[in-house]
Amino acid sequence: MKKLLLLFTAGIISFCAMAQDDLLGELKMEDSAQVKQNLTIATFKSARIVNMNSTEMTGAGNLQFMVIHHFGEIWNEKEGVNNAARLLGLNGNFASTYISFDYSPVHYMNLGVAFAGNSNIEGTLKLKLLRQQTGLHNYPLSIVWLSNMHFNAAKSVAAPNGLNWNKFSYLHQLLIARKFSEKFSLELIPSLIHNNIISYGFGNKHDIFSLGIGGRYKLTNKTALTFEYARQLNMYENIIDKSGEIVNYSPNLFSLGYDWDTGGHIFQFFISNSSNASNLFQLSTNPVKNKLGQFSLGFNLNRSYSVKHTVKTAH
Amino acid sequence: MKKILLSVFILLAASLITNAQTYKTRDGNIYFNPNKNQGNKEYSALSKEATAIFKVETMEVALLVPMKTFHFNNALLEEHFNENYLHTNKFPNATYKGKLIGFDKAMLAKDGEYKFTSEGKVELHGVTQPFKGAVTMTVKGGTATFNCVFNIKAADYNIEIPALVQSKLAEATPINATITFKLN
Repeated sequence: MKKLLLLFTAGIISFCAMAQDDLLGELKMEDSAQVKQNLTIATFKSARIVNMNSTEMTGAGNLQFMVIHHFGEIWNEKEGVNNAARLLGLNGNFASTYISFDYSPVHYMNLGVAFAGNSNIEGTLKLKLLRQQTGLHNYPLSIVWLSNMHFNAAKSVAAPNGLNWNKFSYLHQLLIARKFSEKFSLELIPSLIHNNIISYGFGNKHDIFSLGIGGRYKLTNKTALTFEYARQLNMYENIIDKSGEIVNYSPNLFSLGYDWDTGGHIFQFFISNSSNASNLFQLSTNPVKNKLGQFSLGFNLNRSYSVKHTVKTAH
Repeated sequence: MKKILLSVFILLAASLITNAQTYKTRDGNIYFNPNKNQGNKEYSALSKEATAIFKVETMEVALLVPMKTFHFNNALLEEHFNENYLHTNKFPNATYKGKLIGFDKAMLAKDGEYKFTSEGKVELHGVTQPFKGAVTMTVKGGTATFNCVFNIKAADYNIEIPALVQSKLAEATPINATITFKLN
């Protein structure tokens, strides 16, 4: 009996000792210590996969500055041996530049203004609808809504003077992405493009539809390979333009890229069959390019500045 | 025989009392600014979701902070913090477990500011290091607020920082932890 009691006492003491030893374990068991929302971050490196928009948005209080540059075509057949001096289009005669500023007043919204060259100005609204996460909620996808208003301020026959509704075009996109693993992410991009003015002709329509897919494979923490492909679904064949001539566009947008995060900036180098500055026209009026020589090189450069500090002091 | 039985009951009762004097809180703030120039808040980060447990009898404390709850002023830096430096998918929590040295439970009964030290172990980025630091405890109106400011060196925790970035950062990052317990 005495032995039994001794054993019992020893048992209690050891239990107490164990309980003390495992204070941290006790804390981890606590409901409050469980992570409520494990958000998936960095599905892509930048706000663009290459030319196509990604689900990435700049953080609250941050201003993101981006330059997208497309060089001239890699190998112009008419130029012959002169192509050596054109340095794969880097020293060519045609290039386009897109400069954008995006601000995030709240974490789920980005508002941007962009300059697409030739007096083209764009306004962008990006809204986070769903964020991929685990924890209390288990959402397998990130979904972002993007609307883009394009204003062509240049003088034209259709709209000669100043502000005119004929000069507006719109791009609406749903960006649906999933980060499958630390390295691999994929995105589906259905788009609707609306042009306020279309040249008169049989079968010409205001609305253009496109379906795109893009992905990323991380090579290291700082580098990744990217690809994208978009297919235009209507209004690319036998378009009658203003002068009555028949125009054909390529329904395909295809790009390959390489992301490089330098710590402060993100560089994306790419080759693409589109050299238009604006994604709206890349998806709707892409010139037919059958040869690799007609593709162009380019880069995106972006940097975020924290304009409004959300974290100020220790408390 | 009866004496032994009695002593067992006393022991059992004592262990229950010990359990009764355990405080838990979700009200923990961890703030740090790794910048060399502390006036520059560009890289500042704050987590408001640290949890802690405090056992009065044994003077033991434990603290846990989920790494993904740190939010930075600079969005890109937050991504780098999680993806490149602290690998928070692999090491989701930072923890501290230690003892309060120089603490007396009588302190909790009277409002005031008390100073003592804490000694224990910090686990961060999968590396455990011994820790010793000064703690200020403010008891006021039924709450006890622990504040501890200490330095952490990235190299001690196997956190690799590129040379280009290193030049902008303080050699040791001052970390400010504030944990408030309700005493009832």
